[in-house]
Amino acid sequence: MVHFLSATSARSRPHRAGAASAVAVLLAGCSGPQSSLDPAGAGAREIADLFWWMAGGTVVVWVAVAWLTYSAVRGRVAEQTARQARYYIIGGGALFPTVVLTALLLHGFRILPPLLAPAPPGSLRIAVSGEQWWWRVQYQPDGEEPVELANEIRLPVGEPVEFILDAPDVIHSFWIPSLGGKMDMIPGRTTRLTLQATRTGTFRGVCAEYCGESHALMAFPVVVMAKAEFSAWLAAQRAPAQAPADPLAERGRAAFLQNGCAACHAVRGTEARGRIGPDLTHVGGRMTLGAGVLTNNRAALVRWLAHTDRVKPGVLMPHFGMLPAAELDAVAAYLESLR
Amino acid sequence: MKRGLRQATLVLALLGLAALLVVAGGLVPTRASAGHWAVTRWALQFAMQRSIATQSLGVEVPPLEDPALILTGAGHYDFGCRSCHGAPGEPPPRIARAMLPPPPDLAPRIRASNPRKLFHVVKHGLKFTGMPAWPAQERDDEVWAVVAFLLAYPELDGAAYRRLVDRSSLPDPALQALTPTASAPTPAAVQEQCARCHGHDGLGREGGAFPRLAGQRRAYLERALLAYADGRRPSGIMEPLAAGLDPALIGELAGYYSRLPAASAPPPAAPARPEVGADMLELGRRIAHEGIVGQRLPACVECHGPAGRRSKPEYPLLAGQPASYLEQQLSLFRTGARGGSAYSHLMEHVAPRLKPEQARAVAHYFATLPPDAPAPGVDDAREGDLP
Repeated sequence: MVHFLSATSARSRPHRAGAASAVAVLLAGCSGPQSSLDPAGAGAREIADLFWWMAGGTVVVWVAVAWLTYSAVRGRVAEQTARQARYYIIGGGALFPTVVLTALLLHGFRILPPLLAPAPPGSLRIAVSGEQWWWRVQYQPDGEEPVELANEIRLPVGEPVEFILDAPDVIHSFWIPSLGGKMDMIPGRTTRLTLQATRTGTFRGVCAEYCGESHALMAFPVVVMAKAEFSAWLAAQRAPAQAPADPLAERGRAAFLQNGCAACHAVRGTEARGRIGPDLTHVGGRMTLGAGVLTNNRAALVRWLAHTDRVKPGVLMPHFGMLPAAELDAVAAYLESLR
Repeated sequence: MKRGLRQATLVLALLGLAALLVVAGGLVPTRASAGHWAVTRWALQFAMQRSIATQSLGVEVPPLEDPALILTGAGHYDFGCRSCHGAPGEPPPRIARAMLPPPPDLAPRIRASNPRKLFHVVKHGLKFTGMPAWPAQERDDEVWAVVAFLLAYPELDGAAYRRLVDRSSLPDPALQALTPTASAPTPAAVQEQCARCHGHDGLGREGGAFPRLAGQRRAYLERALLAYADGRRPSGIMEPLAAGLDPALIGELAGYYSRLPAASAPPPAAPARPEVGADMLELGRRIAHEGIVGQRLPACVECHGPAGRRSKPEYPLLAGQPASYLEQQLSLFRTGARGGSAYSHLMEHVAPRLKPEQARAVAHYFATLPPDAPAPGVDDAREGDLP
């Protein structure tokens, strides 16, 4: 913001054109799938408004302080009476900050309750657990069996959704900047966060609290969908896994069980019932692998299986790079078929 | 004064030069046949005794009473030590007697020693003698097995020694009946080496001193032997044996033991262990079949049976293996000293998540299970992509 103002104060036309493009570049940085300043949710809108008010106010205060500094250095200090000086000190040093900070505090009090308010009864609830380093996600629709998935969240547009957050071992923080504020996930405690998306689109959530070696590799895509589309998606997630259609995927299914993958992973509708790692029932339909690290496709699946610890250092899952290439490819084909 | 100093320096320099000339001229005898001067022998022995006494001070002695430890140490002694140190009831080995120093008769030396010193010598060997260091420095557990045997050694006569190192000399008709059958002719290497500890029947020995090989999966046995042979699975006992086998023979041995019946005869019974209660076995059962999600501990049976019929032939079957063996392997995995085939890192991930008492419980649980029979077709298949 500072750069932007000083640039516009330049006089000549070419400078003005350059300044305009600088503004465009700077503002472009404010948009995107993971930006608090390009809100797509009710909470994010409040936070963005507050940010702009504070940014504007900061500029005003900065200009005023700069002007005072300038006049103190260049002005005729001797002409000021002690009384005038006292006005400056009491007014600028105590009164003005008190008024500004009180206003901010009151504004904060006003917007905090809606941000922290529980969702109305009957809202969709989604339990998210921060694992090292991925997200265990469980949809808990009212009066229905919960649906477990991982590392991807889809939401119906316009509806308040309550997230129930916890963590089994270390502190994480759940943050979808485009939709709202962040909330810590604390072992031994359940925290809650209500988000209401205001427009459809694909966004990105992240862990906002340093949680270990692969903290930076712990993200998830967030897709906000029309209500009907969302219901269809959730119904599909609820369904058990499809049986593999082609022989390669069928070989992959056998290899998946033989290699012991089921000790940690569940594929609903099969013998695989592991609870340690992510549920893989519909892993082929997810946008990313490894919690937002790789774009999901066959090659990425092979890469994840063979080089797990290089894609995500410190990961709990051991790599399976010792398997023959054909076996890796078959397992990848099977996982890809789980849509 | 100053002149005396200069003269002394000159004399010393000349003496040094003369010594150099004697050595460079090849006049110092390094013949073993020449023996040592009495003073040299005294100096070497004094230095050795002082070194062993001082450097073994920090060694902590584990419990060594387990008869299985003595059997393990005995099996190795017969292959690795006897050719130099001899055995009870036999004349000293003729070739070793011509070494300098000649390897001593151990009985009087052991009586004059203690477990700490024995551990130090077996683990680190002795410079300027023929005594080698333990080939796998990360396997203190194996060194202790040898020490346990050595402590029993002075009391052994020839017959007692034979009973310890060769199971086929046991008067046990049930086990004798299992030795070579027409359907599985015994390879010569089994007779010469493997049977000493694992038996012709692959059932190991009493007290659970050795893992049971009968009915174990062929691919696993083959990869284990290959890993021993090229040092990826450290063991001072198995590495030297496996290194002497060529890969084709390794395949043959793995096939031989995998085809032997695991369940047709009860394994030599382990002595009743009062500390293994129903609670411990129940904990072991839960870990084996369900894992512990909170500890990120997957269920053992997904890979290792008995429900693991579908698992890879590279994964060993654990049912009916001796508890002490399983517990030891988990402990080695936990410290990263186990090694093994290209699959062994899977267990290096899992084992550190087990607490020692959980490892013990799960080992004892698997020991109580009847051994599985390998699945026909899956476990017989020869893998093309070793190791």
